[in-house]
Amino acid sequence: MNSSLSRILILTKRNLKEIVRDPLSLIFTIAFPLFMEILFYLIFHDLTTQFEMKYLAPGIVVFSEAFLSLFTGLLIAIDRNTSFLTRLYVSKAKSYEFILSYAISIVPIAFLQSILFFLVGGIIEPTIFSFNMILAILMSIITSLFFIAVGILFGSICSEKSIGGVSSIVIAGQSVLSGMWFPIEGLSEGFITFMKILPFKNATMIIQNTLNGINDSFNDFVLPLLIVLAYTVVLFVVAIIVFRNKMKSK
Amino acid sequence: MNAITIKNLRKEYKDIVAVDDLNLEIEEGELFSLLGVNGAGKTTTIKMLSTLTKPTSGDAYIYDYSINKDPDKIKEIVDISMQETAVARKLTVEENIDFYAKLSGQKEEEIENIKKYIYSSFELDKVSSKQASKLSGGWQRKLSIALALVTKPKVLFLDEPTLGLDVIARRELWKTIRELKKNMTIILTTHYMEEAEALSDRIGIMKDGKLLFVGTKEELFVKTNKTSVEDAFISIVSGGELDE
Repeated sequence: MNSSLSRILILTKRNLKEIVRDPLSLIFTIAFPLFMEILFYLIFHDLTTQFEMKYLAPGIVVFSEAFLSLFTGLLIAIDRNTSFLTRLYVSKAKSYEFILSYAISIVPIAFLQSILFFLVGGIIEPTIFSFNMILAILMSIITSLFFIAVGILFGSICSEKSIGGVSSIVIAGQSVLSGMWFPIEGLSEGFITFMKILPFKNATMIIQNTLNGINDSFNDFVLPLLIVLAYTVVLFVVAIIVFRNKMKSK
Repeated sequence: MNAITIKNLRKEYKDIVAVDDLNLEIEEGELFSLLGVNGAGKTTTIKMLSTLTKPTSGDAYIYDYSINKDPDKIKEIVDISMQETAVARKLTVEENIDFYAKLSGQKEEEIENIKKYIYSSFELDKVSSKQASKLSGGWQRKLSIALALVTKPKVLFLDEPTLGLDVIARRELWKTIRELKKNMTIILTTHYMEEAEALSDRIGIMKDGKLLFVGTKEELFVKTNKTSVEDAFISIVSGGELDE
């Protein structure tokens, strides 16, 4: 096997173990969003269409992905601050191998989150079981990359202590600016435009519209996807530059 | 035969000269201690020698390999244990060893042999199935140093290996380091003078990036007219001003 690919796989396996063995990460990436999915459905689904499972489950999937920023960032910040990464630099591993391994190790978690929340949603409201659900699960991998890129960037900049506070901005952003917890119709036009420029609502729209079908393919799917991909690419490039510079300066 | 040859090695950070035209030769199999107060340039020196930092000017050779021209070759024959404990916290002791060994490209059979060697040298078999984060500070430091041996380095850099350890854990590590010395060249930085006195073949004293003294402890005592490394170190670093 190519030695670079082999190193990426070894690093990925280690990163995955570090995350799944942290009980806090399981609570925040699985238990808490699952609790929210069931609770909000039970309380609100009769009152507003917003919390019907066909909208709630995709929202919960993207909401849970926001927590991946925190755990990606935390892992990198700890690795940097404990000199773990510095030591690995004496091996032949390269910066891009580290970054790829961090990203790849989080994707299976995002994938499992998505399957779980859609399955639970489907058990509660079986009408959402469809071929589109499989497509929505696959699309959630793309939206997860945005949050992973955020995590890599934050982890490259922040300390272990500050990463929680900084990542909460993303989690709050996903909660408030995605429009999943409240109807946006009553909001000002300016604020709605602001939400549409940012990736949070677009990421949620991608999954919701993939699950529920698309009327206007450009506005409902292509444009949100392009916006999320643009943020993801830019963030990855910035994260790689910052990560490399931080490691060099250390 | 020299394991390390340093020629006019210099490192500048903006307007600070961290290492100032260092020249030094260290023989194969030697345990060389670099002493100095904070900011003396010890860690920067070993970071340059282990290819973690590029020098501003000058060069150094690990055996025949230049740190400027052959960093990848050097990575194959050196390893470093940093000041901070650097282990994968949620991996067990055994998984940590596996991880480092596989990352350095070792085969399964080699990994089993290196595990046996590490377990016997550091007594880590007692805690092999424990997660690193659940070990005491002393065991974590032992593991951190042990991981530097996974790659079977010819030259090992130990940056403050016993920093923060209690007296017993420190003495245990000394014993291990003495054993390691039989198989490799070791460059050790430390703030503990008794550590340098107990372990070193030769001592180098740095201040403001310059090497003020190189020699055996006996030579150090003669030069300063002192009878302990601590007193001799203070005498050299303070220029005699703090002599009692």
